[in-house]
Amino acid sequence: MIREKRLYSVFYMFFVTAFFSSIVIGFARFTDEKVQANKQLAFEKAVLSVLPNLWAPDASNLELHQKFMEKVNLPGPHSGNAYTLKENGKLIAYALPIEGQGFWSPIKGIISIESDEKTIIGIAFYEQNETPGLGAQILTSDFRDQFKGKIISVIDKPMRIKPAGEILRKNEVHAVTGATQTSTRLEKIINDAVTKWQIEMGIRK
Amino acid sequence: MSPNSKQPELKTLAAEGLWNNNPIFKQVLGICSTLAVTNLVLNTMVMCVALVFTLSFSAATVSVLRNYTPRNIRMMVETLIIAFYVIIVDVILKAYWPQMSGQLGPYVGLIITNCIIMGRCEACSNTSPVGKAFLDGLFNALGYSFILLIIATVRELLGMGTFLGYAAPYFSSQYFDKWIIMVMPPGAFFMLAIVTWIFRTIQSKNEEPGQ
Repeated sequence: MIREKRLYSVFYMFFVTAFFSSIVIGFARFTDEKVQANKQLAFEKAVLSVLPNLWAPDASNLELHQKFMEKVNLPGPHSGNAYTLKENGKLIAYALPIEGQGFWSPIKGIISIESDEKTIIGIAFYEQNETPGLGAQILTSDFRDQFKGKIISVIDKPMRIKPAGEILRKNEVHAVTGATQTSTRLEKIINDAVTKWQIEMGIRK
Repeated sequence: MSPNSKQPELKTLAAEGLWNNNPIFKQVLGICSTLAVTNLVLNTMVMCVALVFTLSFSAATVSVLRNYTPRNIRMMVETLIIAFYVIIVDVILKAYWPQMSGQLGPYVGLIITNCIIMGRCEACSNTSPVGKAFLDGLFNALGYSFILLIIATVRELLGMGTFLGYAAPYFSSQYFDKWIIMVMPPGAFFMLAIVTWIFRTIQSKNEEPGQ
């Protein structure tokens, strides 16, 4: 039977693979623009959500995108490579992208700092794959709200994430219980980015 | 079975996939994803829809090609077909539901290695006509889904005090101490074992003695 011939198998596999692959490639091309736009939008939303008075929960995606383009200034050397928010030419806040390896995969987020260059306004994450229910709890407002008003250190590590229950100083927050790995890594991600920013801004030697 | 007995066949396939030969508590296949995605009901639902889609269409496609596929490379072809449908699901989620795609992370892609799919392709689609293969896949996927939803409901309720993300009465109140372990990996093992135990007990009671 022809089905048992070796050459038939080779050609058969080749054609089946070519057929299914081309459909997948076509489909991926078709949706690629949308996927990229989603990523960009997630980033812009994260930036807006940590800057003062920009976040509107029921705004449409388009409105948010326009707001981002209009209000947020792109990073430059004068801002230590952080995005900035200005009002009447006066700087109000920095939005510093943070990025690094989490427990399962990279965590990407934004941390915003007031014009005094040390008070945290907020933190948000737009890409992460931590364990749902555990590490992924860093997305909850319970965890993120802890950062509001904390003062980053210029001598010690800028921020510390302490186990739940411990007494906190002004640059410390509580970790997510049961997610030690995520917390340790997140602390490093934040500190690496903030330290670099402080050095570029000339506030840390 | 004769082609005229369409109705009884549908019933048999349903009974096999959902109950007699349930992929989770009888065949004990696809356990990896059962353990991984059942800590939140919403994630589980999306996972189940993805599996229902992938399994039924993979089974049908394998069946369409069954008379042309050489036996010695059939598993390569099956894997290719399964991967094809999984990538489609993955891309759809990424494009139209990025949040969910982010939450499920690698598990959507891992449907490719879900043994239930390969198992059905090998056990049924290889030798059956398209309609039967499709239904067999569909009912097996539904059998998988309902067990997963039971596990996920209990885990989310006990572990986080919520159902589908909404706070549940009593479980989210201060009178209930949340069982954090239920949303952690060990909770999945406990629940899977308990569910398997319960369903097998019911099943063995219904069986004819001496079977």
